[in-house]
Amino acid sequence: MRLIGVLAALVAVLPLIGVVAAALSGATADIAATDLTRYALTSVALAGIVAAVTGVLGSIAAWLVVMHRFPGRGAFEWALALPFAMPAFAVAYAYADLFDVAGELNSWLRAAAGVALPFQMRSLWGAGFILGFAFFPYVYLAMRAAFTNLPVHALEAARSLGASPRRAFLSVALPMARPALAAGVALAVMETLADYGAVQFLSVQTLTTGVVRAWFVYGSLASAAQFALPLLGAAALLLWIERAGRRRRAYGSPGAKWRPLPVTALTGSKAWLAFAYCLLLLTLGLLLPAGWLAWSSIDVQPDWPRLISAARNTVTLGVGGAVVTVALATALALAARSLPLTARVASIGYATPGAVMAIGLLLPAAWIWSVVPGGSANVVAGLALLLYAYAARLMAAALEPVDAGLSRVTPSMIHAARGLGASEGAAAWRVQLPIAAPALFTAAIVVLVDVLKELPATLILRPFNFDTLAVIADNYARDERLANAGWPSLILVALALPPVIWLSRKAAHARPGSE
Amino acid sequence: MTETSTITVRGVARRYGATAAVQDAGLDLRAGRITCLLGPSGSGKSTLLRLIAGLEPVDAGEIRAGDQVLSAPGRTVPPEARDVGLVFQDYALFPHLSVGDNVGFGLRGLPAAERKARVLKALTDVRLNDRAKSWPHSLSGGEQQRVALARTLVREPHTVLLDEPFSGLDAHLKSEVREGLLETLKAAGAAVLLVTHDAGEALMMADDLVLMDGGRVIQSGDPQECWARPASTAAARLLGEVNRLPAHVAGGVARTPLGQVPAPGLPDGPAALLIRPQYLRPGGEGLETTIETTRFGGHFSEVGARLGDDRVHLHVPGASARPGDVVRIRADLSKATVVPD
Repeated sequence: MRLIGVLAALVAVLPLIGVVAAALSGATADIAATDLTRYALTSVALAGIVAAVTGVLGSIAAWLVVMHRFPGRGAFEWALALPFAMPAFAVAYAYADLFDVAGELNSWLRAAAGVALPFQMRSLWGAGFILGFAFFPYVYLAMRAAFTNLPVHALEAARSLGASPRRAFLSVALPMARPALAAGVALAVMETLADYGAVQFLSVQTLTTGVVRAWFVYGSLASAAQFALPLLGAAALLLWIERAGRRRRAYGSPGAKWRPLPVTALTGSKAWLAFAYCLLLLTLGLLLPAGWLAWSSIDVQPDWPRLISAARNTVTLGVGGAVVTVALATALALAARSLPLTARVASIGYATPGAVMAIGLLLPAAWIWSVVPGGSANVVAGLALLLYAYAARLMAAALEPVDAGLSRVTPSMIHAARGLGASEGAAAWRVQLPIAAPALFTAAIVVLVDVLKELPATLILRPFNFDTLAVIADNYARDERLANAGWPSLILVALALPPVIWLSRKAAHARPGSE
Repeated sequence: MTETSTITVRGVARRYGATAAVQDAGLDLRAGRITCLLGPSGSGKSTLLRLIAGLEPVDAGEIRAGDQVLSAPGRTVPPEARDVGLVFQDYALFPHLSVGDNVGFGLRGLPAAERKARVLKALTDVRLNDRAKSWPHSLSGGEQQRVALARTLVREPHTVLLDEPFSGLDAHLKSEVREGLLETLKAAGAAVLLVTHDAGEALMMADDLVLMDGGRVIQSGDPQECWARPASTAAARLLGEVNRLPAHVAGGVARTPLGQVPAPGLPDGPAALLIRPQYLRPGGEGLETTIETTRFGGHFSEVGARLGDDRVHLHVPGASARPGDVVRIRADLSKATVVPD
């Protein structure tokens, strides 16, 4: 059991070692240090903007939904997570087109009012806005959980000590939720740094675009790895922030029975303001970009055979990635009960951008391609490599629900099984896995959604002529055939929506103290 | 003792880093007898139970079942191969299996019909034969414990280990559950080791008593003997309140504030006299004491009194004693023990 766990941890770490090795191996002359600095500064600035946007948008939304009653609250509670189904690159396509200088909105404004929008989406601020709306659900979900789990006793104690409801919220509830805010923002920033499709399309040069360009344009593995190194450092830092936030969240109120929070009923204009705010988030994050993509693609005849084949590939990779990743994460979680370090090591993969993961795999890939028949055209070897990259990147994401599921099995249950004649493996198979089964399914869905939307690692590692929906969308978008890029994006949203809805509703209905 | 030991523990030790959880511990478990392992929390009693169950390796010493070595340094027969049953404090019922399937968990490899029959019999023995289809969470605490017991006994282990079996139950349920448990265990005929921190529980249930403190076995034997003749102050205090008075031994006799007490085998020098409050009684021409505190406790009052430079506790009938009263007390020195200081 321990051996499998160590192997699973190695799966996640191997590509990272590959990155470092590649970065050290090559000559440094390929890229100028000033370029690297410029790309890095852009990444930092973008991360800062996204952190601020997601932090504010997500926290307010969570505060409204958890602590207030207003029209539509029940639906918004889960619907506000739905922008997760919208890949960031698709949001970027829609807004870039909508706000284009020569676009329909600006043309109409010029004709009607003689003004143009002062805002250009193909800019750092535009990218910040777009990624902010694509990633605010990370903060929303973290803060919703934090507010929901607030110990009511602490709030009541604050009230009995003379604090008004407003002050109780500001001085007790908000500080208690601060670790969750840090964790949610850290996740949003991780995704920002990892994003390739959106920033590439918006011509914002971040480190991740640098990684991909160094590989595709200059064919230099060493340069790509050098772009990747600062990302690895940032990933480790963000991961540390996120984990620290999670640990603090766990303190809560020991032993206190969970009771529902006191909810304020909003009336009149306040109620409609809350409704409008939530609707605005949902509109800007999902409805407007998806709607605009649909509107602009409606006249285009889609290339159905290509789309269907890509959709099949996408789903195959998604399901395959989910199965492989969850299996490895489960082995890791079981082993981590005796070797906690393995899980911590493996979770570095989660913060690592997919492009970096793929670059790290290129060294071992070159070796694999040199020994398998057909070389890099060998589809099976290529797909295996891709699944490996997904597993390495998403193992930690799967690990969290798997671990939560396994923690429902008390040590004494395992010991009881052993005492009743079951070996270590039999106890895992007959007791731990059945009890954790619903959590394993949840983990698989989380991985599935992420793999469906994945672009950079797929782009770098996919076998020749093996297209996913994200890859097709990216191809069209590069050629500025935006109307064509709409179809694969929308099919992707349609595929991702049901699992996202399922996950969000499940999380919204999960309450401490209830099964 | 005519029964042969099912489990023999000799010189066992277990360390966690710098802390010695168990050191040089020994005990015997005998078929048909209940051995209670009593100690305060952190005394190593649960660790010792886990060592016997095979959940942890021993660092020194040996645990045997008859001729078979179960645990020795570098060698641990896994828990599933020990034929030792375990009942946990939290019962550890499998939430994904029905009551019947929980009980049948350890009967893999038997033909289905036989398994079913044995599950039914085990559940009947704990009066739960109508709950086989129920889910564990729908049972009361006492019922869950009976399922856990049936699940263990259905495999007919030669030894059953129970970890704090009553700590999860409401006070008013305990005595009823205790009687049922005793009956079932006696009927099964296995050797039983019951770990507890409740002295009353241990004294009531034990055929043999083992007292632990600081990772060591500090006394073992017959419960009445342990209560009346503690081997040390720590052993005495584990089983209930005790008065400890200074003594001085010279030539096998101890001089104490209560009088002279034989102390055979003790070296000359300072020692301690142990006597329970029950054996100090007011009346007659005894020693003069001044009452300092009284606590009404129902059919008697717990009284703290000054005796010379020392303080003693005694039980006085009713609520007649008042602080400041001077009372004469008599000690039943035949119930007193002198232990090394």
